[in-house]
Amino acid sequence: MATKNKTSKHSPSATPKKHANKTAQKKSLAPYKLMLLVTVIPRSKADFFLDLLQTFEVNMQLELSAFGTATKVFGLFDSDREKQALFSVIREDNVPNALSALEEKFATLRGGKGIAFTVPFSSMVGVLAYQFLSNKQ
Amino acid sequence: MTTKYEVVFCVVNSGFSETVMESARSAGARGGTILTATGTANPQSEKFFGITVKPNKEIVMILVDANIKENVLHNLYRDVGLNTAGQGIAFTLPVNDVAGLTPVEQQQEQQEQAQQEQQTTEQTQEEPRQSDDASDTDKD
Repeated sequence: MATKNKTSKHSPSATPKKHANKTAQKKSLAPYKLMLLVTVIPRSKADFFLDLLQTFEVNMQLELSAFGTATKVFGLFDSDREKQALFSVIREDNVPNALSALEEKFATLRGGKGIAFTVPFSSMVGVLAYQFLSNKQ
Repeated sequence: MTTKYEVVFCVVNSGFSETVMESARSAGARGGTILTATGTANPQSEKFFGITVKPNKEIVMILVDANIKENVLHNLYRDVGLNTAGQGIAFTLPVNDVAGLTPVEQQQEQQEQAQQEQQTTEQTQEEPRQSDDASDTDKD
């Protein structure tokens, strides 16, 4: 009953306004979208690509050792299958430049063939962490 | 929002990554990347479900066309699902942009797109003809 009374006190026009204010606050808190950039490259070229990605305002990168799944039919050695997977958090507006730079390096760098793709962030917690990842104060 | 590519993550017990790739390839996937990982599980849930979670895991990451995502997931569930020895869990994430696909793959995609466009144009051309024929028969 108490809850019913509380809800009846609010005028119908007040709730949408409140909701709009809340959404506006949320929007202003996180104006830049973040992406997870996944880059899979040969292990020997990992440091080069880490440095390259840092030039696109990437503040946090994770590096994991990985293996490609190409079968031995193609005459590959085990060393050719050794890959490094880089998980980088990047701001959305830097993605096109980063991907075009990666594409160029994949094409021109000898033994530097790789693949990269972005996955959008849906949510995160922590203003400082967000500022750190988006490289914006 | 429809995306052209999706990335499939399949977490399986160590040693089952080849099975995952075979299963995915049979649905049209091309290549993947294997990451090694360590799994954790709630001991109470393990008891409840009567399963034991082996800690050594492999994560297979496969970039696939969004059109074949369902087939890949279905095959993975069948071949390395929780009911099998692989005890696999598979899920997909949307992919916004991709770089580094080989020209062969891009050509194939372009050809597929062209074929689809042709089919749609043919269908749209055929529909008015059929309607014209129907109107002619009505007149007769």
